[in-house]
Amino acid sequence: MTLTRTSHSEVDLFSDEVLVDPYPVYRDLRDRGGAVRLSALDVWAIPRYADVRRALADWAGFSSRGIALNEPVNRMLVGSVLASDPPFHDTLRAVLSARLGPRAVRPLQAEIAGRAERLVDELVERGSFDAVTDLAVAFPFSVVFDLIGIPDDARPKMLGWADATFTVFGPLNERTLGGLDAIGEMFGWLGTLQATDLKEGSMGRDIFRAADEGRIGRESCIPLLAAYTSAGLDTTINAIANAVHLLGTHPDQWDLVTADPGLVPSALNEVLRYDAPVQGFGRTVTGDIEIDGAPVRSGSQVLLLYGSGNRDERRYPEPDRFDVTRNPVDHLAFGYGTHACAGQALARLEAHAVLTALATRVRRFRVGEPVRHLNNVVRGLERLPVDGLELR
Amino acid sequence: MRLSVHRDRCEGYGLCVDEASSLLHLDDDGELVLDAEEVEPELSGVAEAAVRVCPVAALTMD
Repeated sequence: MTLTRTSHSEVDLFSDEVLVDPYPVYRDLRDRGGAVRLSALDVWAIPRYADVRRALADWAGFSSRGIALNEPVNRMLVGSVLASDPPFHDTLRAVLSARLGPRAVRPLQAEIAGRAERLVDELVERGSFDAVTDLAVAFPFSVVFDLIGIPDDARPKMLGWADATFTVFGPLNERTLGGLDAIGEMFGWLGTLQATDLKEGSMGRDIFRAADEGRIGRESCIPLLAAYTSAGLDTTINAIANAVHLLGTHPDQWDLVTADPGLVPSALNEVLRYDAPVQGFGRTVTGDIEIDGAPVRSGSQVLLLYGSGNRDERRYPEPDRFDVTRNPVDHLAFGYGTHACAGQALARLEAHAVLTALATRVRRFRVGEPVRHLNNVVRGLERLPVDGLELR
Repeated sequence: MRLSVHRDRCEGYGLCVDEASSLLHLDDDGELVLDAEEVEPELSGVAEAAVRVCPVAALTMD
C-alpha cells in the first residue's frame, strides 16, 4: 500500500496582496509539498522546480487543454497553439517557429541592436525617463509591430489587449472578467483583418500564406495572429521592466554588468528566474498520478508555478539573492519542452539589445518607487521612474 | 552513453553548444550537428548540462 498525503492551502494566489509579492506564499507552498491543493480554486498548485519541469516535459500526461483556470477561456482557446497538444499543436507551432526560431531571427540582430542604441541614446539625452512606458513598452512595440505587419491603427489598443490576454488565464475574478471584455474587442478587430491588411513579407502575412498553402486551416489564422500580438508584447515588456528595476535596485550587480557587458545574457537569465514575466500556466492531468505522495486524479487541473519553481531552494542556492553571474539557463520563465515560448529567441535578442545599450552608456542610474502592475499571470510594472544617470 | 537530437523538436537555440562545445556545434545554417554521438565518460557531465539547458527538450542522452 502506498502512503498518500494531501497538503492544502487556503491562500488566494490571485488576490492583490499576493500578486504584489507572491514569493513568501510560494515558499510556504513549496514547504507544504510538491502538489498543494488550493481549496479556493479546485486546483493543485505545483510549486517546486523539479515537478514543474517534469510536467512541462510530459505534454501527454499534462494536457494544455486546461491552460486557463476558468472554463470560458479554456473553451475560447480550443484550437489555439497554446491550448493544443501534439500532433495538431506542432503544425501550428511550425508556422510560428519558421519566423521566430533562432535561425529566422539571427539576421535581425544588427537592426534590433541599432534600434535599441538609438532609443537609449534618446533617453540618456533626456536625463530622466520612465523605464516602463519610455523603454520597456516603447522598444518591443517598435520591433514587434513592424515584424508582425499589422496596421498602425491598432497600436494604441494593443497593450491593453495583450495584458488582458494573459490576465484571463486566471480564475474568474474581477481581473479576468474585465480582461474578457477587452479580448472580445481584440478578436472583433483581428477578425476584420484580411491577408492584404498585413504588410507583405511580415510574420502576420505568412500565417495567411500558410493557410493558402494548406499547412494550417483558415480558422487558425486569427488565433495565431493573436498569439503574435499578445505573447510578443506583454512578456518582453515586463522582462525589460523587471530587468531595469532589479539592476537599478542592485547597483553592485549593475557594476558587474557595465564592467563586462558579456554578462548581459547571464544577467537576463537571472532577471527571468528572479521575476518570471509569466508566473504560471495550468494543465489538465490525463491519468491518475501521484506528485510527491499526493494523489492527483485524472481530469484534475494543476497550476504550474514557474515563478515559484524559479525560486526553489532545492534547485537554486540562495534563491532570493539576485546574482547576475549565476546564469540559470534552465529557469522556467519560458516554460520548457513542447510548449516552450516560441518567441524566446526574439525576446532574448530584444532584451539583450536594450541591456547592452544601457550597459555600454550608463555607469549608474537611480530608480524611484515602482508602481506594480497587477495581472493574474504576468508579473511586471506600470511605472518605474529613472533618473540620476551617470554616463560612462 | 549516447547523445541524440530530435530533429522534429530542435529549433536551433544553441544553448547546448554553450555548455558542450566539444560535443556539438551549429553549422552555417544554424542546424545542430553532433560531433560525437558516443559520449566519453569524462564528458558525461558537460553532456548532461547540454541536455538540461535545451529549452525544447530536443536533446537526450541514454
